[in-house]
Amino acid sequence: MLIYLVYGMSFVLAMMLQYGVFSRWMILSGSPDLVLLLIIALCLHQKHKRFWILILIMGGVVGLVSALPYFVPMLVYMAVYLVSLTLKQRVWQTPLLGMFLLTFSATILEHLLSIATLFVLRIPFVFSEALVNVVLPAVFLNMFLAIPVHAMVRELSMWLYPQGAQV
Amino acid sequence: MRNLFSAKNLRNLILIIVIVGVLVLAISGYLTPIFSVSVSPLISAQSWISERYLAFSDFFGSPRDMATLREENMVLRNEVAQLQSEIIALQENLAQAEILYTLLDFARNNPDHQYVAATVIGREISPYLQYIVIDKGSNDGIRFGMPVVTQQGLVGRIDAVISDAARIQLITDAGSVVNVRLKNANVEGQVRGSITGEVSLDMVPIDSKVDIGEVILTSGLGGTYPPNIFVGQVLSLQSRQNALFQTGSVQAIVDFSTLGAVLVITNFDAVDISPLVP
Repeated sequence: MLIYLVYGMSFVLAMMLQYGVFSRWMILSGSPDLVLLLIIALCLHQKHKRFWILILIMGGVVGLVSALPYFVPMLVYMAVYLVSLTLKQRVWQTPLLGMFLLTFSATILEHLLSIATLFVLRIPFVFSEALVNVVLPAVFLNMFLAIPVHAMVRELSMWLYPQGAQV
Repeated sequence: MRNLFSAKNLRNLILIIVIVGVLVLAISGYLTPIFSVSVSPLISAQSWISERYLAFSDFFGSPRDMATLREENMVLRNEVAQLQSEIIALQENLAQAEILYTLLDFARNNPDHQYVAATVIGREISPYLQYIVIDKGSNDGIRFGMPVVTQQGLVGRIDAVISDAARIQLITDAGSVVNVRLKNANVEGQVRGSITGEVSLDMVPIDSKVDIGEVILTSGLGGTYPPNIFVGQVLSLQSRQNALFQTGSVQAIVDFSTLGAVLVITNFDAVDISPLVP
């Protein structure tokens, strides 16, 4: 229960920091996504069988607060969770590499889904402009922030899961 | 069959039913009082973080801006000199203008708006969407579709409201379309946003003559925004061969990157014509 509470609180804090601070950090038109990074790091460090429920709730909350359709963050976060299960088995000895791999692929997926949503909503945009001005800067910023986020969640998980604990 | 109703499957089924039930209750609005109570302290904390960040950013950003401010000061001094000469010319036409104002019943076209001031406490998580979040909501009389301005000009419109916060769609958003009027050319057009936050002018008749620097005001067409709110100035205009309309780029009057506070016009009822759009 404590673990879910701590994860929930860290998610709320990440949401507030994202809306208040990180959405204003921009390179061209791209900004980092702290919530996505936190969820990636949590997925890589969690040891619960029903962690997907928390991920689904987090996706729902982001979908409700954001102007994006609610299913976009839910889909991205669930995809992150599913890929992290495989990734933890294959690159378990280098968790930072897993964090980088997942950050890169999840950011691309999130942006592709956002672009697809804009396309379905018939909002005019130029794909190359979106790629150069939004996707690439956002990928760069997310990769840059992945290291400190991973380090913080690692410390958090070491406190929550003492050595050898399996819930 | 026994496996289908095993304890594990039943537990997962109950979890799914509970999640779906909570979602249905949330969508149908039965959880609104709970949301209102739980969201208020979060909004206060969000305001605190946003204010501290802006103060921090201003403190470290101000020395760097000194050179820019000096340049702007020079430009503004030149503009003041130009405006003073224009004032002298305008004073000569004052008597004639007073008659024209009476005829046009200018006051009727510019009713006194009622404003609610709000602080910007966040920006949208997705970089493709240009939205901001303010710390005033339905408890302060804010409703969907209300126009939002600053003392400079048009900002956008209310897109979603909860009890103590609201989300604003900026005019720079790719989904935003504002019907506008070019003041001197006296032609109408549309101002559209983009995913990069740039604003462009569209639907300007091909035969109309528009000067660079032309002032853009809202036309009031469509009932989404009140008329005569300052939007920006024309930066450039292109008319392609065989095109039906001229297009161009616009310099918005409001600096959206440093937006800290806004005014919501509460006595304007926006007309939703979307059902009439084919």
